[in-house]
Amino acid sequence: MNKIIDKVNFSENVVKLVIEAPDIAQKRKAGHFVIVKIGEKGERIPLTISQADPEKGTITLVIQKVGVTSHKVCNLNPGDLITDVVGPLGQATHIHNSGTILCAGGGVGIAPLLPIVEAMKKAGNRIVTVLAARNKELIILEDQIRAYSDEVIIMTDDGSHGNKGLVTHGMEEVIKREKVNEAIAIGPAIMMKFASLLTKKYNIPTVASLNTIMVDGTGMCGACRVTVGDKTKFVCVDGPEFDAHQVDFDELLLRLGAYKNEEKQAYEQYLETLN
Amino acid sequence: MTNNPEYFKAERDQEWRVALRSQIKNKERTSRERVKMPEQDPNIRNKNSLEVNLGLTEEQAVSEAQRCIDCPNPTCITGCPVGINIPKFIKYIEARDFLSAAKTLKETNSLPAVCGRVCPQEVQCEAQCFYTQKLKKPAVAIGHLERFAADFERNSGKISIPEIAERNNIKVAVIGSGPGGLAAAGDLVKMGYSVTVFEALHEIGGVLKYGIPEFRLPNDIVDVEINNLRKMGVEFITNFVVGKTSSFEDLKAKGYVAFFTASGAGLPRFMNIPGENYVGIFSSNEYLTRVNLMGAAKADYDTPVLFGKNVAVIGGGNTAMDSVRTAKRLGAERAMIVYRRSLDEMPARIEEIHHAQEEGIEFMNLNSPVEYFADESGRVNRMRLQKMELGEPDSSGRRRPVPLTSSEYDVDVDMVVVSVGVSPNPLIPSAVDGLNITKWGTIHVNPDNMQSNISDLFAGGDIVRGGATVILAMGDGRNAAAGIHAYIQQTLVN
Amino acid sequence: MIDLSTKYIGLHLKNPIIAASSGLTANIENIKKLESNGVAAIVLKSIFEEEILQQEKDLKNEVQKDSLIYSELSETLDYIDIHIKEDTLNVYLELIRKAKKETLIPIIASINCVTNYEWTDFAKKIESAGADALELNIFLNPVDTSDKDFEKTYIEITKNVTKKVSIPVSVKISQYHTKPAHVIQKLSETGATGIVLFNRFYTPDINLEKLELTQANHFSNENEYLNVLRWIALMSKKINCDLAASTGIHSAETIIKQILAGASAVQIASVLYSKGIDYVSVLLKELENWMEKHNYNYLNQIKGKLSQEKIQDPAAFERMQFMRYFSGIE
Repeated sequence: MNKIIDKVNFSENVVKLVIEAPDIAQKRKAGHFVIVKIGEKGERIPLTISQADPEKGTITLVIQKVGVTSHKVCNLNPGDLITDVVGPLGQATHIHNSGTILCAGGGVGIAPLLPIVEAMKKAGNRIVTVLAARNKELIILEDQIRAYSDEVIIMTDDGSHGNKGLVTHGMEEVIKREKVNEAIAIGPAIMMKFASLLTKKYNIPTVASLNTIMVDGTGMCGACRVTVGDKTKFVCVDGPEFDAHQVDFDELLLRLGAYKNEEKQAYEQYLETLN
Repeated sequence: MTNNPEYFKAERDQEWRVALRSQIKNKERTSRERVKMPEQDPNIRNKNSLEVNLGLTEEQAVSEAQRCIDCPNPTCITGCPVGINIPKFIKYIEARDFLSAAKTLKETNSLPAVCGRVCPQEVQCEAQCFYTQKLKKPAVAIGHLERFAADFERNSGKISIPEIAERNNIKVAVIGSGPGGLAAAGDLVKMGYSVTVFEALHEIGGVLKYGIPEFRLPNDIVDVEINNLRKMGVEFITNFVVGKTSSFEDLKAKGYVAFFTASGAGLPRFMNIPGENYVGIFSSNEYLTRVNLMGAAKADYDTPVLFGKNVAVIGGGNTAMDSVRTAKRLGAERAMIVYRRSLDEMPARIEEIHHAQEEGIEFMNLNSPVEYFADESGRVNRMRLQKMELGEPDSSGRRRPVPLTSSEYDVDVDMVVVSVGVSPNPLIPSAVDGLNITKWGTIHVNPDNMQSNISDLFAGGDIVRGGATVILAMGDGRNAAAGIHAYIQQTLVN
Repeated sequence: MIDLSTKYIGLHLKNPIIAASSGLTANIENIKKLESNGVAAIVLKSIFEEEILQQEKDLKNEVQKDSLIYSELSETLDYIDIHIKEDTLNVYLELIRKAKKETLIPIIASINCVTNYEWTDFAKKIESAGADALELNIFLNPVDTSDKDFEKTYIEITKNVTKKVSIPVSVKISQYHTKPAHVIQKLSETGATGIVLFNRFYTPDINLEKLELTQANHFSNENEYLNVLRWIALMSKKINCDLAASTGIHSAETIIKQILAGASAVQIASVLYSKGIDYVSVLLKELENWMEKHNYNYLNQIKGKLSQEKIQDPAAFERMQFMRYFSGIE
């Protein structure tokens, strides 16, 4: 059982939770995730750790309501307990100095991008970050990202903040303008797919942090398998970060939708119970 | 202490046993038929998740116990990985002292109700039974009797807690709460150690919970045995991945002086054939975990699972049988085992194969998948099978399956469960510098005491064996507990 | 400037020297060293079907001895052959990827097979790992006394593999055929883009002191090229695919002879062992020297110049019998 210490509503559907988890706070590095379960009959879902405070023994998660479990997490309040939190899981980001790094974050993907931006900046890289979302409300953690970026470009679908356009527009602008040594993309699978296609065109090594369906999170079940190159990899133990140019995003998208009917139905039923 | 012939002889020479032996003539004992385990009707049970085997009645149990002739040289014990004093517990049943029978089981086995259900007795104790060896008759139903005694005790409400040595406050960590971990924890706590079991999942029990289905091993029964360990003083910590949540060094700093790793098999294997990542293709681990651990098939649980009409399970082991019978219970019209060798070569227990056949499982032997196909949503809708024939026997005497050229044909499926084994989880091996790992990624240990080349690290079960049974893992746990005890006595106490 | 470039199975080679599949082409350090010394392409060490089968056997033996690893009821053990194959293949695919990443010359993968199933999947994976071509080293044991039709198996494997992949596929064959000409002809019609003549078998010898069997010299000797030369010359103009000469190629002169006979390229291994990888640069220098001395600017100018069709006395290459040979020098 882990206690919720603090909660911030970024928007109607996006929530930041600060959770008591002293062991995890000690060990986590950029790139790590946790598995969270709400209630005895809950589902196990992976969430990337956004920030951690080893002294206070807390970790920060940013969650978007997309289904039953994420909705339940978002509805928790300070003082509430999360039934199960386990981690930190996965391989940490390989932090190194490569020159200029183009970081692209889409929607709640900005949250897991934050610790990577921070660590890469501290490793001496020049960081240009492109944040993208549907509208202004969904651009989160902008100030924190700015603190560790040399430059931040904001892209929104509706132009309500920054420039109007997709994440790839912002990225291409940077690529055309200056030498980019490496790129990192975190966000919805479809956004990472197009970001990856773009950087492939310019031959820029790119890392994508994949978020897949998981059960145990320790390699036991294989629900999170994904084709990278021509090998099957497990996101939970081999990832979550992979060479984006090798990832079969189309397969990833199909596998993410494995339970879309079941989930939709369950979510509708759940929402009814709330009313 | 409990494993030497003198001890067994002394026990056998006790008055009550001598008296019991003289009550019925051996000739009469050996002329009886072996008891038949009462079962749920196949066509009812394949629609529910209740236990298939109903358990023996008292009369059945006593009568079966009378078949045992209480041999002077009980070979059955040599077939038991945890060294249960088998004649003693059976004779207690014959004497209708069922609680003492249960107590006898618990001298060496912390999970008798589990072992009575899932152990392959037919290749262990029962294979070594006098009936099998000398009389060429069906063995005494040791497994059924074990289950009977354990169930009787549980239902009596008079569960005995084994004697525990004085607490010595020496901390030992057990990694993984599956059968290996639980067996080790049980023995170590009896010796007086402060035992903490670290479990990565949110529930205690490992494969007993996530892997073996309710209809073979109800979770409640596992919980009762875990609670017994708790009462004995074992501490359980869930949601804790050793090597991730804390390192071995962290745990040492907290005072743990020895470690037993029984972290399990880990990564499921696939066959690496085209289309294997389509939606609706699961590893048996995933499928069983969703259903058994996460309650995915129950309406009030959040975890989803797919329900297939035509389900193919690839493989011929016990996990494959568990998966295919689960699929049948969850409504599959066609639940198929696709296995590349013949029925005789299946590694699954004969009882499980037999049960599966009764429940209407189709066996597609001498077939192997070569490719999967999917609809536009990515959901598998067809598999291509290749027919096989058996070639020459390999070194282990099993005939090698050889594909027949141009024998491919397609079968409609909307769900596939791949159950072709596991590779060891690299998590622990990679968390310990200098740990001796086999070519196969398993931890290399001394088989006598399960000690690895890192002197305070012991290991057992699947992480050592690559794929074992519940009882072998428990045997490892017991060996390791003895090994850890000796290690601590040598290095710390003196 | 002498232009040594040649085309072999659709690959553009800067010179005719290919490092043959051997222990030297099994690791990335040697591969890079071979490249920097000038070889035009590399055939990676074969992934051996027999080796995989052997590993499977060994492992099972080990299992039976070691009571700890794998119980009989284990599903992992039940599928161990597939897992071994997968593991071995993964190591190989990694070598291909690495070689492609760290060198610029064509990388030819090689599979050494004895059966005609299971290899098509391997071939597909090898292709997607980035290999530029695939050499099938079909290794049927000529000692087999059954009347099994070897030639048919050769053709079937080639047919199956070429159907599945779009990279060029060459076939390395042994000289033990009743009618090599027929086999070569047939393979070229089946889809092979190149044929390598010939692979070498393990050669036994006898130790006269200990009176026991030993292995003869692993490596080819300088005269072994002659038999290859004959078949290259005989076949090069008769078939629609490229020929590469292998075995016994130890000097620049031999290379030139093979090219003159019609080979598109040569494969070397033994000489690399005996004289070192850097000997490639010596061979290349000598090649250039010979070309210069004989006033040739392009390798293509001499390719096939002395194949059977091109020479005055075509029958010369066909004279095989010792009788005629000896009668000629009486």
